[in-house]
Amino acid sequence: MNAPGLIIIVPILAGLLLLCLPSALLRIKAWTAMAVSLFALVLAFMAIGEEKGLTWMVPFLKDYTSGDASGKLVTSLLRLTALRLDAISVWMTILAAFYAWIVSVYTLSSGKEGEPVPNFHGYVLITLGFAAGALLCDHLLFFLFCWGVLGLTLFMLIRGNNDEQAAAAKKSLIMIGASDSLMILGIGLLWIVQPSMNISGIHLGTDTPLAVGAFLCLLAGSLTKAGAFPFHTWVPDFAETGPAASSAFLPASVDKLLGIYLLARLCLGMFILNEWLVFLIILTGSVTIIAGVMMALAQHKFKKLLGYHAVSQVGYMILGIGIGTPVGIAGGLFHLFNNALYKTGLFLSAGNVEKQTGTDDIDQTGGLAAFMPFTFASSLVFALAISGVPPLNGFASKWLIYQGVIDLGSQGGVSATLWPLWLGMAVLGSALTLASFIKFLTGIFLGARREELASVKESNGFRCTPPVILALLCLASGILASGLVIPRMIMPLYQKFDFVGFWNSELISILVILSFVLGFLFYAMHKLVKIRVAESFTGGEPKKEEKPVVVGDFYLNITRAPFFEVIYRMAEKKWFDIYAWGKELVLATGKGLSILHTGLLPLYVLWAAAGLIILLLVFL
Amino acid sequence: MEALLPLFVVIPLGFAFITALLGRYIPLFHRIAIPLVFLFLSVLSVWMMANLRETVLTYMVGGWEPVNGIPVGIHLSADGFSVLLLVIINSLAFLSAFYSYAYIEQYTSGHYFYALFCLMVAGMNGVAVTGDIFNLYVFLEIAAIASYALVAFGIKKEELEASFKYQVLGGIGSLFILFGIGVLYWATGTLNMADIHKIIGSTAVSPGIVFAGVLLLAGFGIKSAMVPFHSWLPDAHSSAPSPISAMLSGVLIKSIGIYCLLRFFFNIFTASSQVAYVITTLGVASMVIGAFLAIYQWDIKRLLAYSSISQIGYVVMSAGIGLILLCNHGDIHVAALAIFGGIYHLMNHAFFKGLLFLNAGSLEYRLKTRNLLKMGGLASSMPVTSSTSLVASMAIAGIPPFNGFFSKLVIIVAAVKSGFYGLAIIAVIVSIITLSLFLKFQRYAFYGKPSESATTEKDVPFSMEGTMILLAVCCLLLSLLIFPFFRNLILMPAVHALMNATI
Repeated sequence: MNAPGLIIIVPILAGLLLLCLPSALLRIKAWTAMAVSLFALVLAFMAIGEEKGLTWMVPFLKDYTSGDASGKLVTSLLRLTALRLDAISVWMTILAAFYAWIVSVYTLSSGKEGEPVPNFHGYVLITLGFAAGALLCDHLLFFLFCWGVLGLTLFMLIRGNNDEQAAAAKKSLIMIGASDSLMILGIGLLWIVQPSMNISGIHLGTDTPLAVGAFLCLLAGSLTKAGAFPFHTWVPDFAETGPAASSAFLPASVDKLLGIYLLARLCLGMFILNEWLVFLIILTGSVTIIAGVMMALAQHKFKKLLGYHAVSQVGYMILGIGIGTPVGIAGGLFHLFNNALYKTGLFLSAGNVEKQTGTDDIDQTGGLAAFMPFTFASSLVFALAISGVPPLNGFASKWLIYQGVIDLGSQGGVSATLWPLWLGMAVLGSALTLASFIKFLTGIFLGARREELASVKESNGFRCTPPVILALLCLASGILASGLVIPRMIMPLYQKFDFVGFWNSELISILVILSFVLGFLFYAMHKLVKIRVAESFTGGEPKKEEKPVVVGDFYLNITRAPFFEVIYRMAEKKWFDIYAWGKELVLATGKGLSILHTGLLPLYVLWAAAGLIILLLVFL
Repeated sequence: MEALLPLFVVIPLGFAFITALLGRYIPLFHRIAIPLVFLFLSVLSVWMMANLRETVLTYMVGGWEPVNGIPVGIHLSADGFSVLLLVIINSLAFLSAFYSYAYIEQYTSGHYFYALFCLMVAGMNGVAVTGDIFNLYVFLEIAAIASYALVAFGIKKEELEASFKYQVLGGIGSLFILFGIGVLYWATGTLNMADIHKIIGSTAVSPGIVFAGVLLLAGFGIKSAMVPFHSWLPDAHSSAPSPISAMLSGVLIKSIGIYCLLRFFFNIFTASSQVAYVITTLGVASMVIGAFLAIYQWDIKRLLAYSSISQIGYVVMSAGIGLILLCNHGDIHVAALAIFGGIYHLMNHAFFKGLLFLNAGSLEYRLKTRNLLKMGGLASSMPVTSSTSLVASMAIAGIPPFNGFFSKLVIIVAAVKSGFYGLAIIAVIVSIITLSLFLKFQRYAFYGKPSESATTEKDVPFSMEGTMILLAVCCLLLSLLIFPFFRNLILMPAVHALMNATI
């Protein structure tokens, strides 16, 4: 049996097995999940070397394709589960396996602490298997099948011990399930114009209403999975209430991979977009960036803040892929990889902080840097990376996206004329991201420590290692971006391109390191010179006691600014949440209809009679 | 094999009387014997299905041969659709009866319960195998009257009220049906289904036949609870003992409602596109209105009952689309796809809705309440009920890998392919509402903060747990019917039986 099939089958079977084991064997379950995901990761790496093109998930079945009925069953099974190996699908699978491994390492200590949710490890493996299935398969129906199961595992990874969590679980699955239903519709529409159900065989122009409808339905599926505006609203709720490990695994990394993977397939292979669709995608991307980050600014729960950033960052990927130039697409995909690194890391670090302090409120924490050094150091790297500070990886991919936007300006079309707007929104989004991560860092790790947090210690090794690994990867992929990562990993995904403008990540990194060294030298020189220390002169005013600064309050100013006040208030009332709109509408209709159901028999008999009379009028 | 047909009526009918007589004196007799009887019948029906293929079985009761080609005795006949229905009826009956082993301890006079249960199954089996429309009416009434009594089995105030409403509306439905059959007999001079089809096909459309069609449409509309004839269903299905609710929602409205409707309008009448459009409209109305009403409910069983209206709507809409295509000489493959989707959903619905009602029964058994607001956090204390109900909820909401996903997929794709984009969009919207309402059920019953007023330490007894697990496994296994191999074996004979007369 060849490797790609095993990446799908082994985790699913292992996951199902883990579901059957009793929870007393938690230790064994955790280690099994770690081993299986590592195995899948190795297999996925081996798949890089495999021949590109179509292959079978279960190759030995080929020998059983005879002409009789059971042979036909085998044939249909084979056709349904054909796998497509190319650079995008293989790399995405590697990443999915990698994050499953990271999350299972993070939860290895759960033997002592209990699982984040019941059967966590089993569902992580099942998710991995079906994610690999969705990423690798070539048949649309099998894709839809795997895609749908992932909605269910998302639900199983949160479920809910309290009311908020239960509500978030419900909302997530409703939104994901709704988008899956839309995708069925899209595939139905596609089926009319295109008899082939093989993703690799579809190459459709978007000049007919049917093709556009199919594209939009499938686009809704990808945007919901990835968590983009206006289908994003499940992500912050999930992140706020769900266990950190689940958020790190699904909304932060694997769901992003899947959503953007589908977007890439839609835009780069299955459909040839017309200019209005390109405009729509770029607009969605830009609005997502700004909407997500603006909401993030106002949060004081750090997991929810990260949830809104998970939305905002998707905007960059969509923008990059929407641009459609090689640089832009490379930027979008590179940003996807980078975002998964630092966003998973941030959620895991946040999980550590929450676990050790027992709160998820920025205003309740502070000064933890010295006591949780590993978590702090890795969070610092992640925060700088997500904010796009050079030489970290977030900068490298945003840089490509900016270049892509500028490139776009030289092309024709509606969206090209508006390129300064897109660029402005992307850059502004980046600046606001930095602003909100200063809040995240200072609020949690810097400033004076609260007394009630005096006993806080660093988490255990299992929970510290994954963020550190991810932080090192962030550094590595940032520093080596232009020399190694982009040419060797990102360019093969779509096509080669030349760098526009001057950017050499290694050189910049050396300069940054040099500046740090110089700074340290100045600081050290300062130490050598003898200096005098005196009390601050206050002009006789009584000196105030030093109190921990509540960082969150500073950021509340934006919610009180004239124009933003209205927007934030509307957001608070869920004006921008299509889920809330849908819920209100459905419940109001249900209420209206149930008023008619009085429970009185004569009325019911009257309806039946009216029904008969109407039928008679129709027919006679 | 045709000699086996009467057994499906005779055996449960016989056991109905034996149970009523002996059940009082031999404790446990009915609780053990009746599930075994149904198990035997379901094995028999599965065996028939495996060997039937595309043939039609006919059997003359008592050996009364036709005189001058006109059947004079009781005439039984079974094709692919009938046998599929027999499998659904008897397997669900077996599971419900097995579930009742523990459940029925809550009630006194359990032997009457089993006697009525047998009577209802005998009636439904009779409807499936009968070849003439008058016997169809007789069997339909047997099943209906047994179900009136079963709805009232708890003899509390609301159960009696529900049963009364059900009897009045069911009686009106039966009246329409009997009147329709009478008119049809007057217009054609025969009661045999095949003969009526031949006569209607060879003569011009007369007002009498159209009138009979309208009466039958309204009558079976009441029996299958399609909007606006649905009003009795939420009360009746929620008041009955839960295994009976599972039978009523899972099987009864299908066998004496949908099955007869499809039989009449596919196989007996010459289909016109007008009828087809009306049937589709009724289906769509039920689908939409049922779902909107269901999501507003807080009583689990009422929620499930309203959702049955909506799910039946899916079946009828899909079959209606198939009929429209057949009448308008559209693409025959798309028509087959649509009818296949409807019948597949009909079968799936029997299993997942049956399971959901049994879940509701388990909750009621332990908590003594059906109000969702009084539950919560039961996932840990009732693991089997919780996980099986999750399976059923995901199945009905159309989440893979469960069976509902595939029938939903087929129905939506068929609607799109036949050019009814609007209906496809409505089907998508209703499926989203269905998902929401079942997640509401999940959230308030099993997740969230445990309620103080209703808690339990343990799950339900073995017979109830075992049944629910079996049904959950069925929900998973029925997904396989999407593969052509299993599809051709189990569902396509039914599709062809429906299409044969119309093509």
